[in-house]
Amino acid sequence: MAELQDIDFTLEYPYTRTTGPIIGPFLTGLRDGQILATKVGDRVICPPLEYDPDTGATVGPENLVKVGPAGEVTSWTWVTQPTSKHPFEHPFAFAQIKLDGADTTMLHAVDAGSEDAMSTGMRVVVRFRSERLGTINDVYFVPGDEPPEAPEVADEAEPVMITEHLIGVRIREPLQPHRRRFAEGLLAGKIIGQRSPADGKVHVPSRGYDATNRVPMTSEHDVEVADVGTVTSFTEIVPVQYHGQTETEPYIRCSVLLDGADTTVGGIDIRDISVEDFRVGMRLQMVWRDSGDRMGDLDNRGYGLNEEVYERWEPTGEPDVDPESLKEHNF
Amino acid sequence: MSGSAQSQSTQAQRHENDIAIVGFAQTDAHVRYDGPEVVLIMECVNALLAGAGIERHDIDFTIAGSCDYLSGMPFAFVSNVDGMGAWPPVYESHVEMDGAWALFEAWLRLQMGDIDVAMVVGSGKSSPCNAREVFHLQADPYVVAPLGLDPDAMAGIAARSLIESRKATETEIAEVVARSYQAAASNPHAQIRSTASVEELLAAPYDMAPLRAHDVSPKADGAAALLIARRDRARELTDSPVWITGLDHRIESHHAGLRDLTDSQSTRTTAAGSGVADGAVDVAELHVTHAHEEIILRNALNLNGSTAVNPSGGPLAGDPVMATGLVRVVEVARRIAAGEAGRGVAHASSGAALQQNLLCVLEGGA
Repeated sequence: MAELQDIDFTLEYPYTRTTGPIIGPFLTGLRDGQILATKVGDRVICPPLEYDPDTGATVGPENLVKVGPAGEVTSWTWVTQPTSKHPFEHPFAFAQIKLDGADTTMLHAVDAGSEDAMSTGMRVVVRFRSERLGTINDVYFVPGDEPPEAPEVADEAEPVMITEHLIGVRIREPLQPHRRRFAEGLLAGKIIGQRSPADGKVHVPSRGYDATNRVPMTSEHDVEVADVGTVTSFTEIVPVQYHGQTETEPYIRCSVLLDGADTTVGGIDIRDISVEDFRVGMRLQMVWRDSGDRMGDLDNRGYGLNEEVYERWEPTGEPDVDPESLKEHNF
Repeated sequence: MSGSAQSQSTQAQRHENDIAIVGFAQTDAHVRYDGPEVVLIMECVNALLAGAGIERHDIDFTIAGSCDYLSGMPFAFVSNVDGMGAWPPVYESHVEMDGAWALFEAWLRLQMGDIDVAMVVGSGKSSPCNAREVFHLQADPYVVAPLGLDPDAMAGIAARSLIESRKATETEIAEVVARSYQAAASNPHAQIRSTASVEELLAAPYDMAPLRAHDVSPKADGAAALLIARRDRARELTDSPVWITGLDHRIESHHAGLRDLTDSQSTRTTAAGSGVADGAVDVAELHVTHAHEEIILRNALNLNGSTAVNPSGGPLAGDPVMATGLVRVVEVARRIAAGEAGRGVAHASSGAALQQNLLCVLEGGA
């Protein structure tokens, strides 16, 4: 029988942002070998802003000035255990750096080798990474004053108009107790629901609580329901061929009210009954996979029936249930 | 604290638009809560309603603060409504912020005068993720967030500025932690049980130097909830209403180079806006997620020895992310309702290095 695993996945999205008239030239500068700031009144602000922070007045690209490449650390912290989001995998410093010619500090990473090499007031200087994409991570700082080598810049390089940031979070957690019991039931060939102590209704799959009556449910509320039930609603899906689509043929998705349950199981795939023959009120029987072929990859997020435990659903041949009696269950 | 309770219990003239806290609840700060966030909320809300002697249908407006990123579940805030009671259909709102900001919206909403009672919930289940790998996303998306520069790293930078400008010492920072742990010993909801001395704390290795691991609040799963009502309804619902006499919040620049990280200018502005100095402050619960921030906040709020600061132990003894600010309000309200304090301040913070600050001034008396 399959082993139930803890949940471990990364949810991530690439964010693309337009850069605008000031951040665009700033990121272009980092890619091409210089650090730009904005001169606002008497102050030189780095990283640059599109506006005067005191008045909100627009600050245009004509106010861009070069600063650095070296500067002074005004404060810092030593990162002994970098996170997966940090620019280095080994210990390093995050610092506030007042670049030569600037009046404000910039936050950035200093690859100093050891904490002993760091001190407030020390000089640091920029380094350009060999691969630069027009992001703040195109550069980092090192102790000292020695100017960087001018990076190679492609002749045809366009200004940075868009910057991309892949954001993501890794989620690691055990199955919640009610999900674990549900999953163990499926692997053993049983469908486990929960009977609400408030109104006696049986929830399948249960979310671990009765939302209508605001009652948490525990193992003492577990009940087994049948693997046979009645179609309460369905739709025919005709796959649109978008990027990444793997479906080619029309299929049915339906909701089934299992015998002994008061809530329907949604999102059940039907691939071997034609839509002409399919109807609300039809009686269906779940055909289990052999126990060795059932998968245990249930998570805490879905509310359907794990499709990795059954082969298909087939008509029982019993007379239909009157659809009028299913009105409360049409989802 | 109790000494000033009588003097503070003035028979102030309350306006019909005045709003009071009439019930409150909080869960334990769980290192890891095994069940769904919805059940965490449900347990808290059920305790709230039972304690206040009110039914779900008596509530006119419901609002929650939470963060979907923490559980990696887009629209988790929608399922969370199940925990508050989604049936019959509920008039509700949500902020992707600490529950203290949900309180701000509910407080504004009740002042419109057409409804009387609101429920405010803050909840978070952060145990499935590393919160440091989420909250750097609150920073500037072009020049800071891609560095992964998280709030703990920013706190390390701010703490060093504080120490090197001689506004605090490492010993004083350790004293904040030791005092928080001592106070937490009498808080049944706290997460940390420790009797560590200042000397023991200072012997621990640095993590985000000059901070140490214990200077950073331990993230927890938890929820808090409270009920607020307009004056007349509040007096019907309880004999010990806790009046919100001031509520304000301000934010500082996203450009850390424009901020003084050794002070909290936004807290000073917020204190003026919420009237903190208009009376004695018997108790202050401060949203201190990094120990040195208590020193910055005490200075910004002009608190002296007559104020009990974080008598619950504060977030350093348990930080149920997204509920932590609202827990501060619950802790102050609980003490005032019990007559242990007459007037107090609850503080909530958001963003790195105290970027955004909210203050809620509370007062007892009928």
